[in-house]
Amino acid sequence: MTDMTIEAILEGILFVFGDEGASLAQLSDAVSLPSETVRDILNDMKAVYQDEKRGFELAVFNDTYKFISKPFVRDYIQRILTLSKTRTLSQSALETLAIIAYKQPVTRIEIEEIRGVGCDMMLKKLMAQDLIREAGRAETAGRPILYEITDEFLDLFKLISLDELPHLPQYEETRLSDQLFE
Amino acid sequence: MTFTVNSSVFEGPLDLMLHLIKEKKLDLFALDVDVLIDQYIAFIHQMEQTHLEIASEFIVELATLTEYKSRKCLPRDESTLEAEEYQKETRDQLVNRLIEYQKFKEVSEALSARFEERAMQIAKPIDKEVLKLAEEENLNFLQADSYDLIKAMKRCLQRFHTVSNTEVKITQRELSIDQRTNQLRLIIEHLPEPFSFSDLTADCLEVHMVIVTFLAILDMLRLQELIFTIEDDEIWFRRSGYDGYDD
Repeated sequence: MTDMTIEAILEGILFVFGDEGASLAQLSDAVSLPSETVRDILNDMKAVYQDEKRGFELAVFNDTYKFISKPFVRDYIQRILTLSKTRTLSQSALETLAIIAYKQPVTRIEIEEIRGVGCDMMLKKLMAQDLIREAGRAETAGRPILYEITDEFLDLFKLISLDELPHLPQYEETRLSDQLFE
Repeated sequence: MTFTVNSSVFEGPLDLMLHLIKEKKLDLFALDVDVLIDQYIAFIHQMEQTHLEIASEFIVELATLTEYKSRKCLPRDESTLEAEEYQKETRDQLVNRLIEYQKFKEVSEALSARFEERAMQIAKPIDKEVLKLAEEENLNFLQADSYDLIKAMKRCLQRFHTVSNTEVKITQRELSIDQRTNQLRLIIEHLPEPFSFSDLTADCLEVHMVIVTFLAILDMLRLQELIFTIEDDEIWFRRSGYDGYDD
């Protein structure tokens, strides 16, 4: 198999798998190649789809690959079909998700300490939306439930993995150390 | 008379404090807590006046700030450092919390941009044929937690919706008049006489079945198995005693 035909095979599989996506393990099984090789090929393909002549791109999250249309296509689809409103997340939902993503696994109390408000209901809502899930219990008093984010979260925020999260602003360290020497 | 409407919604006391710091151009890192407290209290009062319901979180924070302020007003025992330490600690704690919250607030804005972009992007559902094959295969190794189950159920429903959009199935229970006649014969054996048309159609779920029942009754009347009378807008039946089998 040449690289070209492998790309064609991978493309075909991803086309058929649609929104379920295909995992790196499945794809490398299909072409009988080590996953690192397949990952490289997929990365090349991903770059190719970035071309503005293409109407869809290759989305990756937690080693799962799938095709999604590019954002600009939506306006044109809207001309022929009435699409339902895009999903929205409230500011409090975003903040709660951000805290979980950066600090996971994390307890409800830890989240509330940072946000300064109760978020019991918010956690239930996010769980219902499949954006977070329980990740066992903390070995502290009361054994509180720990929460972590799901693959669905990575997909919805276009994150290949949690390493891709934007860096938390670190302004306080420099500023506070300045103060120490005042 | 002044009429002010404040439409900004705060996510919590920390959000409000950050807003006040920004508004009054205070330096977060060299925070003048006294100014912040005054602003905070003033804001809560304003909320009260506009009859806004104040969430308990705001009150808790108010209590902490008030405690801080009142301790500061008390005459200090100069010989101990306790009071000063308390002040510094409370202040540092507050600043640290504000900074921590500010970090996540900032980062959630960046995440929001990503989310909005992704929300514009659409994937197509998996091919139905593949799904059929895949599901048969997967039955052999079902190992999943409750979240997988929720996910699977969601997908099932989604698929159901996509399928029901394209394929409309009309189900109609096929029931012949002869079959219904036989059913009726069994039903009337147990019915006390006289029985009404409603009794005979009690098990009918659709109009279609009611019609078949009516036709079956007509047939039974023709065969003289039943005799009928109409009274009070209801049709009443009685068995004729004639079995009608030998037509």
